[in-house]
Amino acid sequence: MFRTTLAGLRAHKLRLLLTSLAIALGVGFIAGTFVLTDTIQAGFTEKFAAAADKIDVAVLPARSEDAESSRPLSEAALEKVRAAEGVGEAQGLIRGSAALVGKDGKAVGSFPTAGISLPEGPLNRTLITSGSAPKTATQAVLDENTAKTRGFAVGETVTVLDSKNVGHEFTLVGLFDIGLDQQLAYTGGVGFTTATAKAMTGEKGYQEIDVAAAEGVGQEKARDAVAAALGPGYRVTTGEQYADDLVKANGADDQLITMGLLMFGLVAMFVAALVIYNTFNILVAQRTREMALLRCIGATRGQVFGSIVLESAVVGGLSSVFGLLIGYGMGTGALSVLIAIGAPLPSATAALAPRTIVVALLVGVVVTMGAALLPARSATRVAPIAALRSQIEEQTFRTGVLRAISAAVFLVAGTAITVIGVTMERGQLALVVVMAGGLLFFLGVLILGPVIVKPLAAFVGWLPGRLFGVPGRLALDNSGRNPRRSATTTVALTVGVTLMTLISVLVGTLRLTYSHKLDEQFPVDYMVQSQSGGLPRALGEALRDRPELASVVAIRETDAKAAGGRPPYRVGTFTALPDFTPKLTSGSLDALTPGTVVVADHTAKDLGVKLGGRMPLRTAKAGTVDLTVVGLFDAETSPLPEMTVPAGDFDRYFGAVDDRQLMVNAKDGTDLDKARKAVEAAAQPYPTAKVSSSTDIRGALDEALDMMVMIITGLLGLSVLISLLGIANTLSLSVHERTRESALLRALGLTRPQLRRTLSVEALILGLIGALVGAALGVAFGWASARTVTDGVIFTVPVLQILAFVAVSGLAGVIAAVLPARRAARASIVDALAAG
Amino acid sequence: MTITGEVGAWNARESATPAVVAKGLTKVYGQGDAAVHALRGVDVSFATGAFTAIMGPSGSGKSTLMHCLAGLDTVSGGQVHIGDVELTGLDDRRLTLLRRERIGFIFQAFNLLPTLTAEQNIRLPLEIAGRQADQDLFGRVVETVGLRDRLGHKPAQLSGGQQQRVAVARALISKPQVIFADEPTGNLDSRSGAEVLSFLRTSVRELGQTIVMVTHDPVAASYADRVIFLRDGLLVSELLRPTPQSVLDTLMKLEA
Ligand SMILES: Nc1ncnc2c1ncn2[C@@H]1O[C@H](COP(=O)(O)OP(=O)(O)O)[C@@H](O)[C@H]1O
Ligand SMILES: [Mg+2]
Repeated sequence: MFRTTLAGLRAHKLRLLLTSLAIALGVGFIAGTFVLTDTIQAGFTEKFAAAADKIDVAVLPARSEDAESSRPLSEAALEKVRAAEGVGEAQGLIRGSAALVGKDGKAVGSFPTAGISLPEGPLNRTLITSGSAPKTATQAVLDENTAKTRGFAVGETVTVLDSKNVGHEFTLVGLFDIGLDQQLAYTGGVGFTTATAKAMTGEKGYQEIDVAAAEGVGQEKARDAVAAALGPGYRVTTGEQYADDLVKANGADDQLITMGLLMFGLVAMFVAALVIYNTFNILVAQRTREMALLRCIGATRGQVFGSIVLESAVVGGLSSVFGLLIGYGMGTGALSVLIAIGAPLPSATAALAPRTIVVALLVGVVVTMGAALLPARSATRVAPIAALRSQIEEQTFRTGVLRAISAAVFLVAGTAITVIGVTMERGQLALVVVMAGGLLFFLGVLILGPVIVKPLAAFVGWLPGRLFGVPGRLALDNSGRNPRRSATTTVALTVGVTLMTLISVLVGTLRLTYSHKLDEQFPVDYMVQSQSGGLPRALGEALRDRPELASVVAIRETDAKAAGGRPPYRVGTFTALPDFTPKLTSGSLDALTPGTVVVADHTAKDLGVKLGGRMPLRTAKAGTVDLTVVGLFDAETSPLPEMTVPAGDFDRYFGAVDDRQLMVNAKDGTDLDKARKAVEAAAQPYPTAKVSSSTDIRGALDEALDMMVMIITGLLGLSVLISLLGIANTLSLSVHERTRESALLRALGLTRPQLRRTLSVEALILGLIGALVGAALGVAFGWASARTVTDGVIFTVPVLQILAFVAVSGLAGVIAAVLPARRAARASIVDALAAG
Repeated sequence: MTITGEVGAWNARESATPAVVAKGLTKVYGQGDAAVHALRGVDVSFATGAFTAIMGPSGSGKSTLMHCLAGLDTVSGGQVHIGDVELTGLDDRRLTLLRRERIGFIFQAFNLLPTLTAEQNIRLPLEIAGRQADQDLFGRVVETVGLRDRLGHKPAQLSGGQQQRVAVARALISKPQVIFADEPTGNLDSRSGAEVLSFLRTSVRELGQTIVMVTHDPVAASYADRVIFLRDGLLVSELLRPTPQSVLDTLMKLEA
């Protein structure tokens, strides 16, 4: 039996090639994910180990309960470390904000550049790539990226703001490489001597103290000595341990990425399973006579079953090995691309862990064999007598009662669960419920597929059937000819298109909903925000004096504690204006009189206060005050700080705090360009004041969202590609099955291009069915998902995007048909007529 | 165009221009040692409005001859004319168009598209050619083959004889210059076979159709006006106004 299987495989190797490719791509993606993240991890391990080589002991502040407020290490602590036995040298590292001022006089970037200290001597871990390290209080170095993008060269003078936003000039003496520092990669960095860094950043202490042990002292011994010298309240580790910790912290991110990518890998494997299932079903159908002959000459049902399962195991195994190779290539390729586009990642030789090999092979073989089980079972049902029938019967299909019932159960359950998800309280749980409902509904569609594929084919094929004459008509007939086969082929495509549509509908809807809500709240033309720290109140006054501007609202806020809740809360105020009336969910802004407060709804819940209730607030200048809650609002869409008090009260409680943000509206009829210039002119003296228009903000948000949609669509593209392999596979098997039919048509005068067109139109119809069903499901569940995220959803369907998905699917289907169509057209009429 | 005398002495009823002429036709399959000479130089002409049968032992080249005459296969040497068009040297597209316009086919089996109804199958050649069916002719043809009440059925719902009658109707509907039939009754019982054959003969008599039929059955051959005999790829004999007995006798002589 084994030999028959192998002979069968060899005979069908061309047809199995496409199937193998489907499996290999799915496996490749999963393996590639592992290779990529393993390689990154290995690279980090290597680099961290190298960096930590210089350090024998590292001292870090003890982890406190809330991570934000871990206290920096004091000068005294550094002195204690230096005095400890066995310590050769110890250096404290400073890291804070030190905003670099660009050539336009404004602080660069959306966030201030980091200010770091470069210790002298062997403990320095920052690599100077040109020039030299800073040695005096007027020297600084800049990271290479920032220097390049902002146009600074060694020898120039740069201005850097200190923590009070006062500018200081430095001579740029060198450039440094940020290495793998993710924060520096994001913000850029300026390096100073330790003393200067301390002064500039205003940091009260060190973030870390690095220790080099004295000659002949081991790491453990030095660590124990340092720990003993410092006493409790510090984390003291050896250099090795320190490197391990860094790797571990990094590994958590790595794992998150792995999980995310694997989700897409799973979707791809599911689609591949559908393709495999279909292929084996068709192969079994086409080999009915072969199976029957085997049965005639004495093969048992079990042996027939075994031969198919064995065949799937061989195919799965070979494809998985192939997939592993693809994955290795994809993983290393992706890493090179990431590094090339400037991601702060280490380059390392690609890591192929045993785990990757095992998972890839296991997934490939198990999925392939699992998908072949049902076809194998139907092969055992072939009666020996079938060997004697001359023609392969057309697979007839009738809607069975069982199918109807189970489809109905899944569809109803899916709908019901989705409705529950939509109506329940918003949040992650609701989203998960909707997704579960969507999955059930999809399974219902999968079961119902063969029933609906024919009417759908008639629907989408109406135009092509008319447009393309005889080829179109034949294609239409053929697409509905074997409903089960067509359904599985198209559903594979539906998976990818559904998810793509869902994401684009969800993102589009949320984008519109949020921007609408913001507009409703307070439509501002310009926003002035500080990159760090506050905006002096003088800036607000200057803006109010401008004739081009109509209204200027300042938002001020500070941290404060309230009894009974988590500390600290953002307490703030706004400078009142008649036309500034942010919406409240209950209560009224008019009631915001001295001694009252309006509170964000989640904060109120946190504190357990209700409208009309009272809450004590600890203030800086007025002790603890007892406030009456006169309003609640939705924090997500309101510009108000989470606890908002009247402006007069605020100053009384906290003093003359700077403005955090200024919302500016141009006067009606003023040229917007002129108005913007006015705002910018007023902000010019304040380097950290960043002016943005609402379109700027929206543009940046849109860009980020578009990017996200693009990445997700790209990752789902793999599933679509696999389903296209499925279409190509189904068509080439159908072409094989219809060899004589094609020959007959050719004899009757169908030209080669016409025959090819028949196949292309059939593929087009299949592609369109899959895409349309996907688009419909995606729109429906995109809407349902959006409902679980926020209320007042303004539903929008990104029609162009979805049309593009549908068009691309149809087109891709046509491309998938190219090879099978060529084969069909090239076949000799006489040979085909003689066959069988 | 004129045809020289060597092609065959037989004169059809009013001695019209031949519908199909082959000159020095050779066909070789494969190369070198494996080469099979299926046709070794066949000169033959088929008169317009005549019903000709091609006979010969198995492997003598009957099907090959028909495929070459019908432009389904390329020839290795010689020429084929359908009416005034020379087939040899036409590219695939022109050959296809020629088949579409001038040739009808009836095969032994698998004549019909399973997805189309009988009527759609009959009209298929016209639709492929983008021509309108002559309603009158359609009615007459359907009437002749006796399929009026079966037009809406799919092939799977028709008997073998009915399927072949649909194939005959399809071949007739486009009024081709010549119909080629390869063992059209090979799969039928004798009664259905006789029905199909008499339709073919009626169409020659009444519609003036030209038919070339390959068969190995002497009874089938006796429906024809003329029988030509092939052996080892050569035209070896012919018979006018054949009877089953005279065909059988000639075959016996050839086999000997
Ligand atoms: N495609 C082919 N390749 C090789 N040899 C062929 C092919 N088709 C036919 N032949 C050979 O050509 C000869 C004539 O075949 P054919 O025309 O089918 O004979 P008939 O129809 O009279 O039985 C036979 O010897 C046959 O084996
Ligand atoms: Mg033959």
